[in-house]
Amino acid sequence: MSRPPEPPPRRIAILGNPNAGKSTLFNALTGMRQKVANYPGVTVEKKTGLCDLPNGRRAEVIDLPGSYSLQPASPDEMVVRDVLLGVQDDTPPPDLIVFVVDATNLDRHLYLALQVIELGRPLILALNMMDLAVVQGLRIDVPALERQLGVPVIGISAAKGAGLDVLRDLMTRDVEPSTRHFREWPAHLQRVIDRLEQRVPRLALLPDRARRDVAVAMLLDHGEDDALARHVSADALADAHLLARRLDEFSPGWRASDVAGRYEAITALVAETVNVPAGARKDARREAIDRVLTHRVFGPAIFVVLMGAVFQSVFAWAQPLMDLIDWGMRYVGNVVGHAMPDGALRSLMVDGVIAGVGTTLTFVPQIAVLFLFLSLLEDSGYMARAAFIMDRVMSRVGLSGRSFIPLLSSFACAIPGIMATRSIDSRRDRFTTIMVAPFMSCSARLPVYALLIGAFVPNRWVGFITLPGITLFAMYFLGILAAIVVAWALKRTVLAGGLPLYVMELPPYRMPNWRSVFITVRERSLLFVRNAGTVILAITVVLWFLASYPKGGEAVRALEAERTQVAAAGDTLQAQALDRRIASAALEHSFAGRTGRLIEPVIAPLGFDWRIGIGLITSLAAREVMVSTMATVFNLGSGERDVQPLRKILREAVDTRTGLRAYTPLTGVSLMVFFVLACQCMSTLAVVRRETNSWRWPIFMLVLMNAMAWLASFAVYQGGRLMGYGA
Amino acid sequence: MKVPVNPEGATRTLAQLAAGERGVIASVDCPPAIARRLMELGLVPGTTVQVIRRAPLGDPMEIALRGVHLSLRRSEASRIDVTPA
Repeated sequence: MSRPPEPPPRRIAILGNPNAGKSTLFNALTGMRQKVANYPGVTVEKKTGLCDLPNGRRAEVIDLPGSYSLQPASPDEMVVRDVLLGVQDDTPPPDLIVFVVDATNLDRHLYLALQVIELGRPLILALNMMDLAVVQGLRIDVPALERQLGVPVIGISAAKGAGLDVLRDLMTRDVEPSTRHFREWPAHLQRVIDRLEQRVPRLALLPDRARRDVAVAMLLDHGEDDALARHVSADALADAHLLARRLDEFSPGWRASDVAGRYEAITALVAETVNVPAGARKDARREAIDRVLTHRVFGPAIFVVLMGAVFQSVFAWAQPLMDLIDWGMRYVGNVVGHAMPDGALRSLMVDGVIAGVGTTLTFVPQIAVLFLFLSLLEDSGYMARAAFIMDRVMSRVGLSGRSFIPLLSSFACAIPGIMATRSIDSRRDRFTTIMVAPFMSCSARLPVYALLIGAFVPNRWVGFITLPGITLFAMYFLGILAAIVVAWALKRTVLAGGLPLYVMELPPYRMPNWRSVFITVRERSLLFVRNAGTVILAITVVLWFLASYPKGGEAVRALEAERTQVAAAGDTLQAQALDRRIASAALEHSFAGRTGRLIEPVIAPLGFDWRIGIGLITSLAAREVMVSTMATVFNLGSGERDVQPLRKILREAVDTRTGLRAYTPLTGVSLMVFFVLACQCMSTLAVVRRETNSWRWPIFMLVLMNAMAWLASFAVYQGGRLMGYGA
Repeated sequence: MKVPVNPEGATRTLAQLAAGERGVIASVDCPPAIARRLMELGLVPGTTVQVIRRAPLGDPMEIALRGVHLSLRRSEASRIDVTPA
């Protein structure tokens, strides 16, 4: 029995302004059946999901990024325009558009709606938050709106699930596109546009009506519009730029002449279809909340407390879960270790694969907890207020208030911090924030600072604070300083330009939707495991290989022979000591050990010997691995109990060639400075690769940070020696 | 987009309005791309805007227009002329 092949699912795009409730509707329609990927070549996320329709068919729903206009001001908006015009690679134009507007705010939300309706594609206008509109006493004449716009209009509440059955039913129908136009260009502009329209190539997917929109886009282009450059011939675009410059001369203000006209049409439309009761005060509640949350004194105070709570939770709530995962992975490692015969394969499984999976999973609690808070803050409307409060501070380095929270999160771990930069609308600001996030001293650096401070910084009181305290503070401060300098420099060089406009909507306060919050947390965690996890796993396996091979070596064989004798004699204490020396000798003999020696000439000017070199290599897996590697190098076990003796050993370590002490306090400071600035965390690079959608940025980060680290440590060590601190 | 300035000097910039004050947008005198975006967000000449407050550090400011609240920096607000409402 063969069934006729199912026709391809209908492609339905959800579109609207930010804060229209688009994502809530998308989640309500698709539930857990969502997929997140990137549009090719850009960092804009493409969210798709499946939705069952009442006729038994399935629809593929695309959640397009929130936009304000079809004249794009950001990569997100550019993708929206390109999808609608049918020029976006890999995303054919949708069969149907569900345009979501905030029913309580038709005035502003209709601006983009009118632009899209004019494209002449099948479209349903969904008036979201109808329940709120009713509470506010707004009466919207839906049939009149339908007549005026020429499209089906339906009232829904995505958060409450109201009206969704009717919407799903409409989604099965064939909807006639509207033929309305809501604005005309002045005659002289219309002539220019008509001329340009002739130059627009006949693209298969482009409806004839939309050719005019491409002509307008060409005219308004500033040479940053990659999609246009791909689809329109270079000299047509050059002609358009020439025409635009001449218009600038003879008709200043022409670039916005359609905007005012469209708003006039909207004002008339709203006056005819929406009845606002006299004395309606919809802002009373938000005003009361804002008076406190953005108060001159309480505002920043509440902000500091809230951020402190978020930061502390990422640390504290995630820690037990991370410990549990750590314990679980070690348990699995033990079980597997016992089940498998001793050998290379077992070592690969336990120390490579399982350790790699463990490393990936331990990030998940931090990511989940951070995104739980972030989506609560975002959905409630507080995030915009936080950005409002912090904007002035961040503007000093050329960023906006939106960059603050991702940077703060990076003190716990740069990985969730970098993932949190998605809420920054400006691409250049977002990339700048990503580039400086790893300078924030993350929790993985703390064990290294603790070891080195404990070993080399005398516990003395200086005024009301101890010297170790000052040192730790200085390390955090150094990271912040580096971030400021790098952000400032990037915004003036590689990431200069763009539209320097920081205008942001302050949405009304709303109760967060738990379902949406849960979906966000789940989606971010899965995305990390799937994309970054594979890279982290691969890197862990490579590092395992480097630290385990080649096997043998004379020193190891001699020690192993000795151990066999000692074990036969029943001296377990002596055997354990020999085990540690074997581990140390094996590491020294391995590729990692050899590389440590190999890079010694490079790191010697910083005060580091080959043993620290080995630690620098292995800490590429995770910074805190430095501690256990040093323990192995110095013949210690790697348990908790070994940290105290490790401090003493580091202090007293001897340079085998000179017979002098290998490490001075200056070495310790130099090494800490190196850890503050160096890009050692391969997991971070994996996430940067995913978030910037290219290898260019992670490579740039690696080179830049490590060059800075080397130079700073060099300055500290050599400068310190010149000043006589080298002894 | 320049509209003739009122000879009595009644035209001020949006940045000069105190919290709670209203004004009618007369012109948006920013670079073309920025002016267009601001107008697309509703700052069209003829629209009434109200300054709601300034951020704790003095910049940016919160304005309300067409039922929407926006955060706007002084750098833009000082290039938007308003006449008394």
